[in-house]
Amino acid sequence: MPAASIDVRGVSKIYNPGSQQPVKALDTVSLSIADNEFFTLLGPSGCGKTTLLRLIAGFEQVSGGEILLFGEEIAHLQPSQRSVNTVFQHYALFPHMSVAENVGFGLERLKKPKDEVVSTVKRMLSLVKMDHLADRRPSQLSGGQQQRVALARALAPSPKVLLLDEPLSALDLKLRQTMREELKQLQRETGITFVFVTHDQDEALAMSDRIAVMSEGHIQQIGSPTEIYEHPVNQFVADFIGDSNFLDGEIIAIEDDIVTCKIGSESVFEAENSGNHAVGDQVTLFLRPEKISLTHSTDESTDNHRRGKVSNIVYLGNEAAYTVDMGDGISLMAQARPKEDGNLPFAIDDDIAVGYSNRALRVLAK
Amino acid sequence: MSKWLPKSAAARRWLGLTPAYVMIGIFMLVPISIMAVYSFLEPNPYGGVLPEPSVAAYVKLFLEYDLEDNLVFNPGYINIIFRSFQLSIMATVICLVMGFPVAYYITLQPENKRNIYIYLITIPFWTNLLIRTFAWIIILGRGGVIETPLLNLGIIDDSLKMMYTDGAIAIGLTYSYLPLMVLPIYASLEKLDFRLLEAASDLYSSRFQIMTKVVIPLCKPGIVAGCILVFIPCIGAFIAPNLLGGGKKLMLGSLVQFQFASARNWPFGSALSMLLLSAVVVALIFYARSARKKEYIQGTA
Ligand SMILES: Nc1ncnc2c1ncn2[C@@H]1O[C@H](COP(=O)(O)OP(=O)(O)OP(=O)(O)O)[C@@H](O)[C@H]1O
Ligand SMILES: [Mg+2]
Repeated sequence: MPAASIDVRGVSKIYNPGSQQPVKALDTVSLSIADNEFFTLLGPSGCGKTTLLRLIAGFEQVSGGEILLFGEEIAHLQPSQRSVNTVFQHYALFPHMSVAENVGFGLERLKKPKDEVVSTVKRMLSLVKMDHLADRRPSQLSGGQQQRVALARALAPSPKVLLLDEPLSALDLKLRQTMREELKQLQRETGITFVFVTHDQDEALAMSDRIAVMSEGHIQQIGSPTEIYEHPVNQFVADFIGDSNFLDGEIIAIEDDIVTCKIGSESVFEAENSGNHAVGDQVTLFLRPEKISLTHSTDESTDNHRRGKVSNIVYLGNEAAYTVDMGDGISLMAQARPKEDGNLPFAIDDDIAVGYSNRALRVLAK
Repeated sequence: MSKWLPKSAAARRWLGLTPAYVMIGIFMLVPISIMAVYSFLEPNPYGGVLPEPSVAAYVKLFLEYDLEDNLVFNPGYINIIFRSFQLSIMATVICLVMGFPVAYYITLQPENKRNIYIYLITIPFWTNLLIRTFAWIIILGRGGVIETPLLNLGIIDDSLKMMYTDGAIAIGLTYSYLPLMVLPIYASLEKLDFRLLEAASDLYSSRFQIMTKVVIPLCKPGIVAGCILVFIPCIGAFIAPNLLGGGKKLMLGSLVQFQFASARNWPFGSALSMLLLSAVVVALIFYARSARKKEYIQGTA
């Protein structure tokens, strides 16, 4: 077990306690972030991600629980006494200083010798490919450039932990994808623990070693990107990450690791058993669209095959999203690639075969 | 479009601004020109001027005739000018030291409270300055609010002689113009992005360094504006110097007022005013410079 760089133990945060409307932003959150880990906090707006970062950085005080930084309780430490730097969502660059002065700010406060400040600033600026703009003011930079300066400024004092609050949210898609790779590479090179906040699931999946999915001040699930994507513990996580088909029904039989469910009035689906379920339980079945194969005639290689009718098509360029009406009030989302000539394989109202393997359909806990 | 209007847009803009230029011309340039002309004329002992050119008023600033009619250096007026600057700078510095924390405190209040505080700051302006300055005589003067209890308690056994001192003038000036310091500083602090303070503390700044490295540089335009707004009326003030300085410790403003009123030396008063005006212009140029720098920072934001 590698040394934990941040230990969050049963932390709660209540804003405006004792007032008319106290806000419970975090509710007994516990998590442990390993050294050198790229850890992501993922969740919808208002779920408490920023609050957790601000508690770690020291801008807010916990209402309950404790936070340990490399084994040390940090409640009594000012933000300036924590070896933690933040890349703010809004960058918060100092407008009256040049890019180089911004990057050197932390080093100067730490009273590093002049030549070391100069050389570190140079190194940081070339790391984020901003050395040619060292003399500019932040206001003369584009959003992406400001973001790089904010990153260089936070990295310059070589903190043990870097907190990043949705640093890519203001960038356009292309730049965001480039920055993703650069950030990930930077984290590997520097070996600094990154705590990265985002509400973009693609970003989280692409960059993280582990992800904590949050909702309304609670942690729903912590795991690697594949664990989170393939084995979501509940409907919230499955829904928040990627696209999903959900089927509500009742268990009518359990046999080894196969659960048989009745969906709608008469349809019967078999799914992989994921936990302790009993016959008669109301459950939700979950199936990723990309696990479904759509064919004209029945595909014998899949465990399950059914037939359905195409009811809607959304063309996405590299693929098309199909909605297939399975009858009995059930419809499934699935995907298919366009053919070689660019035309779509199926048209609306086509009668097609829908196949999936037993392991693709899972029972979610209620 | 009317055929009388000039064709080019620039010319039309000038035409549109004509009323403003006429107003400025009549109500600013003409009086200043009259003052400049008067400063180069002979005084009429019964008030007003005699139409004879003379530089006597400017000579009088530095020189005087001794008993044998020789021109000799007279430091009297120079001293008054010097003291005016000294007292005005002192009052400005005190206003800054007292006004900045007040403005900062107000900025930290919730929004609805801020307006109340700003309103309170401006309340003194609703009363005549003369009356407010008289109040200070009651506070500082012999047998006043400060002295009497101390005398009665036996802590002091003679008057503190606080009135008619430079200190009394400085207090009066500070009191008169403190709001003019608070308001512009508040205006610039209010625009300050307080998240920058968090960024600074995240980057290992102490509270003191946050102030000196982030807050003060960013609200410098407000500080400069406040200093100028206090300094300029201070240097021309005559109410506080006359009432609290007892008319003995003259300042430029009271000197000018004296020349036009009792001394009947309009040219000399005009010459002093010209000097005052130059001081103000220098101060404003200084302000324009710093404002331009601020524009550079914000204009590109
Ligand atoms: N200073 C504050 N005072 C009162 N309530 C607050 C304060 N800051 C945040 N909250 C509340 O706490 C909850 C969590 O806020 P937080 O900023 O942590 O959300 P977030 O997950 O970062 O959201 P987003 O993705 O929109 O940034 C929200 O309901 C928010 O309204
Ligand atoms: Mg946030």
